[in-house]
Amino acid sequence: MSLSAPETIEEIKQRNKELIAEVLEAYPSKSKKNRAKHLNQFQEGGKDCSVKSNIKSVPGVMTIRGCAYAGSKGVVWGPIKDMIHISHGPVGCGQYSWAARRNYYIGTTGVDTFVTMQFTSDFQEKDIVFGGDKKLAKIMDEIMELFPLNHGVTVQSECPIGLIGDDIEAVSKQKSKEYGGKTIVPVRCEGFRGVSQSLGHHIANDAVRDWVFDKMEGKPARIELTPYDVAIIGDYNIGGDAWSSRILLEEMGLRVIAQWSGDGSIAELEATPKAKLNVLHCYRSMNYISRHMEEKYGVPWVEYNFFGPSKIAESLRTIASHFDDRIKENAEKVIAKYRALSDAVIEKYRPRLHGRKVMLFVGGLRPRHVIGAYEDLGMEVVGTGYEFGHNDDYQRTTHYVKDGTLIYDDVTGYEFEKFVEKIQPDLVGSGIKEKYVFQKMGVPFRQMHSWDYSGPYHGYDGFAIFARDMDMAINSPVWGLTKAPF
Amino acid sequence: MPQNADHVLDHFDLFRQPEYREMLANKKKNFENPVAENEVQRVVEWTKTPEYREKNFAREALTVNPAKACQPLGAVFAGVGFEGTVPFVHGSQGCVAYYRSHFSRHFKEPSSCVSSSMTEDAAVFGGLNNMIDGLANTYNLYKPKMISVSTTCMAEVIGDDLNAFIKTAKDKGSVPMDYDVPFAHTPAFVGSHITGYDNVLKGVFEHFWGGKSGTAEKLERVPNETINFIGGFDPYTVGNLREIKRLFDMMGVEYTIIADNSDVWDTPTDGTFRMFDGGTTIDETVAAVNAKATISMQEYCTEKTLKYIGEEWKHETVAFNHPIGVKATDDFLLEISRLSGKAVPEQIKLERGRLVDAMADSSAHIHGKKFAIYGDPDLCIGLAQFLMENGGEPTHILATNGSPKWAEKVQAMLAASPFGKNCHVYPLRDLWHMRSLLFTEPVDFLIGNTYGKYLERDTGTPLIRIGFPIFDRHHHHRYPVWGYQGGLNVLVWILDRIFEEIDKNTIVPAHSDFSYDIIR
Amino acid sequence: MRQIAFYGKGGIGKSTTSQNTLACLAQMGHKILIVGCDPKADSTRLILHSKAQDTILSLAAAAGSVEDLEIEDVMKVGYLDIRCVESGGPEPGVGCAGRGVITSINFLEENGAYEDVDYVSYDVLGDVVCGGFAMPIRENKAQEIYIVMSGEMMAMYAANNISKGILKYANSGGVRLGGLVCNERQTDKELELAEELARRLGTKLIHFVPRDNIVQHAELRRMTVVEYAPDSKQADEYRTLANKVHANKGNGIIPTPITMDELEDILMSFGIMKQVDESQVGLTAEQLSA
Repeated sequence: MSLSAPETIEEIKQRNKELIAEVLEAYPSKSKKNRAKHLNQFQEGGKDCSVKSNIKSVPGVMTIRGCAYAGSKGVVWGPIKDMIHISHGPVGCGQYSWAARRNYYIGTTGVDTFVTMQFTSDFQEKDIVFGGDKKLAKIMDEIMELFPLNHGVTVQSECPIGLIGDDIEAVSKQKSKEYGGKTIVPVRCEGFRGVSQSLGHHIANDAVRDWVFDKMEGKPARIELTPYDVAIIGDYNIGGDAWSSRILLEEMGLRVIAQWSGDGSIAELEATPKAKLNVLHCYRSMNYISRHMEEKYGVPWVEYNFFGPSKIAESLRTIASHFDDRIKENAEKVIAKYRALSDAVIEKYRPRLHGRKVMLFVGGLRPRHVIGAYEDLGMEVVGTGYEFGHNDDYQRTTHYVKDGTLIYDDVTGYEFEKFVEKIQPDLVGSGIKEKYVFQKMGVPFRQMHSWDYSGPYHGYDGFAIFARDMDMAINSPVWGLTKAPF
Repeated sequence: MPQNADHVLDHFDLFRQPEYREMLANKKKNFENPVAENEVQRVVEWTKTPEYREKNFAREALTVNPAKACQPLGAVFAGVGFEGTVPFVHGSQGCVAYYRSHFSRHFKEPSSCVSSSMTEDAAVFGGLNNMIDGLANTYNLYKPKMISVSTTCMAEVIGDDLNAFIKTAKDKGSVPMDYDVPFAHTPAFVGSHITGYDNVLKGVFEHFWGGKSGTAEKLERVPNETINFIGGFDPYTVGNLREIKRLFDMMGVEYTIIADNSDVWDTPTDGTFRMFDGGTTIDETVAAVNAKATISMQEYCTEKTLKYIGEEWKHETVAFNHPIGVKATDDFLLEISRLSGKAVPEQIKLERGRLVDAMADSSAHIHGKKFAIYGDPDLCIGLAQFLMENGGEPTHILATNGSPKWAEKVQAMLAASPFGKNCHVYPLRDLWHMRSLLFTEPVDFLIGNTYGKYLERDTGTPLIRIGFPIFDRHHHHRYPVWGYQGGLNVLVWILDRIFEEIDKNTIVPAHSDFSYDIIR
Repeated sequence: MRQIAFYGKGGIGKSTTSQNTLACLAQMGHKILIVGCDPKADSTRLILHSKAQDTILSLAAAAGSVEDLEIEDVMKVGYLDIRCVESGGPEPGVGCAGRGVITSINFLEENGAYEDVDYVSYDVLGDVVCGGFAMPIRENKAQEIYIVMSGEMMAMYAANNISKGILKYANSGGVRLGGLVCNERQTDKELELAEELARRLGTKLIHFVPRDNIVQHAELRRMTVVEYAPDSKQADEYRTLANKVHANKGNGIIPTPITMDELEDILMSFGIMKQVDESQVGLTAEQLSA
């Protein structure tokens, strides 16, 4: 597919340099200066990717980023299935994020489980002018009456809450007391806070610390503990990702006492400080609470990567290294057990995908974590970037990317389009807002937030689906039809 | 090991394999502190009762599963309908990410829109600098012909003044002084997406006709023979606007489609990404002042706009309620004929006859069936009228963004038909109210958007997907529901679901398959 | 139709001054609409002879939303057919009063409250603290702002701040500073100070309203002086003020607000404020006596 593809690494680097310079030319000078800091390419041996990150987006450029509310309600809290999450403010935020994130769960929705529902205080003008605390209190009463099996409530603040100075903490405390100590968590995740979803993750993590953990101080564990207790942290169970991960951990003899937060419950959150090890998939969104548990409760944490057989095997061994020999042996058994499957997948799909070039732009951990899975299939990631990464993400990325990989932080619609136009990758992996842009251009695309309504992609079972999906995208006969013969 | 390279199991098969079932059962039992199964069942049954319905309808503060979105979504919908226009939403940036995703999920198309990305400092000091930098960036990067500015609730709470901000931005050179930046304040805590649509259209007309915020002469209206056509916030905008153009062209009507977003949400895959495509041009928008009349297909999407055009510019204004079916299309075409002085041609009469023919062939399957309908206020009316034409009986009509006045009007319309007299209209209610209605007063079919599938799951009422958004079925927005041809589409969608339901209920061998007929 | 607004520090006598001025304008035969934009909702009590009027926002909250209100619900008619509405707002410490002002003015405009009036007057709380309280000075709203002040330092400080708010909107819109109205507090050199501040802001002192106890007598009866004692000397003062405001049409200016230091310099040059001995700044009483 690639037209006049540059051959040597020097040629690639030269092309990338020119390309960055070219896209920057389109900006007015102030924004040009700002955006220049976010675009670069990885230099072999670099300790990060030489881009600035976690800085305010430039107005008016079509950033792909979301907001703190999206980070808290949409990512961290929303999947906790037995609690009711109130989108507190006007109707829109809750409406647009309603069931849009494919956080799979088991439960009777509307009765003991509430993930794919939209609870909102639907603020009206009078609530803005006179304040919304009384309404919030009444909402809690109505929730307790109509949804009596809920295991708690969170208040996910939308922009106006912080602007009009509502005291949601006071309402939450008061109502918790009234309802026999029920867990009620106020979250200050107003959308204007911070520069992206990322601060919302942090705020949501802190809310777990302050309103869930602190409440559990001194209380005995609800479950009996074993030396093999681990918690899966930072897996949102998109299309069942956490399930196809959990099964591997259980097969190697570990006991998963909690999932954060895909298919998670408040009981699992409460139990987690008693785990022997926290295994962390999405570092970006849950490193805060992992560090807290390490400092306060002495629970160590380890990052892992369950995309593609190479990284899965590496991760299973790393996790096992925190346990005794039995677990270590089991890890080898699990790796061996699934080898036939992953070999068969690679044998089937690698010939169809080998040498194909991929450009990514995603959030969380995926701009780096999925690279190994592509490489298992013989594919090459030539450009990547984070929607809301920090410098520690770009440091971790150095372990994955090759010399001369184009790096774009908080890419704008304009830049991404130009980059893809010039580099002509065989596949772009990004989100729903980008999908149709690139497909129109005739470039195969997979959504790498929602797995394009497929998945799971985690674990060995997920890798088979991942490989099949990438093949389906790249080798679809549709791409041969984009040019009319007349 | 359930997964297999030759036959890759997808999530819906994978997690139903015994390994996973067992794992998930253990997870629940051991770690989730679950509610006892019999208690869950007790509450499940309780939520079906009249007693629960009463408590549910007594809600005053909590909204659960509403069927409405917020103003700026409608603002963007209207904004993209003008040629080469980028909607620019002043406020927090996450909102814009949401609107773009929402539209892309419905239309399966790109949705271009920018934000002024206001953050905490802007919350304190106001968002003037965001407007200045934002307009400059949008203008330079995307070279739009126009930028249509609206607001999020954040900018509205702190009271940013768009008029002053845009003027200041022009003074600072963000865009040329004579560049068109129409604007509308669209607070999310007032009305719904249909209000935002209305505000933006009014803002565009005020801008182009009313003297561009004091920077140009107010236009002189010289009435001509054209008719302005406004579609409103319409999930079928792609198919519908094309159908309307076809009908008007056949009639020889001179017309201007206002906010024509039918092309930008239906661009081809041919190797080129078109950020802009089609749309009402600036020249057309300016010239629209001279039209003899302005008609709106959705009264409740254009209340302020029509009032402005009628009172300020003396257009004759006519509003419909998302007309679907024979009678509604008759009324629509007669109005067009009256306004334009053009007769309805024979060809359209044939189309009418074909729709009546199809209804005559099939309405027996709809006749006497009970329907619950929810959606935007105008669409509810259009659908109810069409069902009644086929002998269907609307039983519950619910619009979260319908006002009590809307409900009165609909109730009166229903009372005029023997098929509507048992129907009740519910303004300002949500889909959790609908759930109670479907349990306590069951119907045969439910008509609504994608979220209706949760009601189908809980209550067993088969869902016919008509509305916004539709995320889980593809491409229906490319088909019209207006005109006689559009009526035919709606008829087929309804019938398909009815037949599927009969087949599903008769498919068991040696039990019910005597009725599993091949001819229906 | 002329649209004017009265701004000023809380407690300065802004409502009294504005209502007396507007009552005089009504006596001159003008049709008046008063829009109170202060959550305290006390901008129309002297015209209506009432303690407090039902506000737009309280009625809207009771009815559900502002769309559910009719203009007749919120508009009361008082002395000489002066029409009165109060925006209202939340209790202190909750909600967003500024947004309330925006809501109310939008409602009034959309429902034709401004039809058939000669004067619309906005009476706005102390300071332009947020965008909402700037609503009356946005384009196509008040053309001239009258700042009610006195010789007290905080009143002058507020007048300067309000001028900053006007300046912000003056370039993009049409709002101008009409002038200062000094409501006498009998501080030292009050007239000279007011004139000097007006000069520095690039405007003029429209009128110096002397202090007179008859104002309090009238207020006790919830009346303006011009209604309570039309032949009194104080009523004449207000008539003079009203005539000056009426004659001031189109004479507003874009203000030139001054810095805090400059303001302090003025106060010092008039002997209102002592020269600050920089060496004593930050010292406690104990340290100073040591």
